[in-house]
Amino acid sequence: MNRLDDDDDRPLSPEEMLRLIEEQQATTVRRLGGDPLLTHTPWGITWLAGFGALYLNYAYDLLSRSTALAVLFALMVLSMATTFFAQRTVSSQVRGEAADRGMMYGLSWMFGFACVVAICVRLSPLLPSEETGLLWSVTSMAIVSALYAAGGALWRVRTMFFLGAWLAALNVAGAIAGPTVHALLISVGAGGVFTAVGVVQWMRRRGGA
Amino acid sequence: MTGPRELDPVIHAQARLRVVATLNTLGEANQITFPGLRELLGMTAGNLSVHLGKLEEAGYVEIVKTHRGRTPTTYVALTRQGRRAFEDYTATIRELLDLG
Repeated sequence: MNRLDDDDDRPLSPEEMLRLIEEQQATTVRRLGGDPLLTHTPWGITWLAGFGALYLNYAYDLLSRSTALAVLFALMVLSMATTFFAQRTVSSQVRGEAADRGMMYGLSWMFGFACVVAICVRLSPLLPSEETGLLWSVTSMAIVSALYAAGGALWRVRTMFFLGAWLAALNVAGAIAGPTVHALLISVGAGGVFTAVGVVQWMRRRGGA
Repeated sequence: MTGPRELDPVIHAQARLRVVATLNTLGEANQITFPGLRELLGMTAGNLSVHLGKLEEAGYVEIVKTHRGRTPTTYVALTRQGRRAFEDYTATIRELLDLG
């Protein structure tokens, strides 16, 4: 312990001290912001593969609808579990305003999806099969995009805000164009971008750690 | 170290500066568990305890021992005095850089 104390007494220049402060602040923000590989990337892969499967069903009938939905739902459950695990690891270490904010933000997702399920269950019997799929997809993605952007605003993380905005833009375009295009846009545009952003952030984090 | 203002000797040690910078980043009204802080800093428990002791003595950190369920948990937070000391410290460093 004393040996380490002696190491700490090694005089640093003001530049080195300032760099030390900045590096430590950046490390703290990165670590407590959650591992991007456990937050953005699982959802990116889920949408890439899940909506990709739906697109193959809508456009080419290569997969049955039930198989495509099974792929999507199974990956969604896996992503939810991963995100929950990642957030829990962080929130178990901090208490106070930040933890309260995280808990309320987490609950907001549940409230949003409860509304999605309620309206979709009510309207689905009235719509043709493909439009039912579009209804579920667009309303779900509306919640995801709004809460992603809101999360970016809450924690002042620009990437998260812009990912939410990007998702909203794709969702609007897909809603207008129809179920096939919507599935393609969410698969490639959202899934691909979220996966890439997660991996790039993770690589930067490893490089900067 | 010479300069226009004396640098706070409590913070002017790499390890304690990193501790204070980390706690300051958490923001006001937030506390972190001892193991969480240790992990963020990559220090040994013994080493961190020593530095926290010095910071607590100076009134810069608050150490709260409590229970989460049945598990004893120690939380660490920066006090208002500690936050002010860190802000003064960084301001002095910037002054020194400007003069240099």
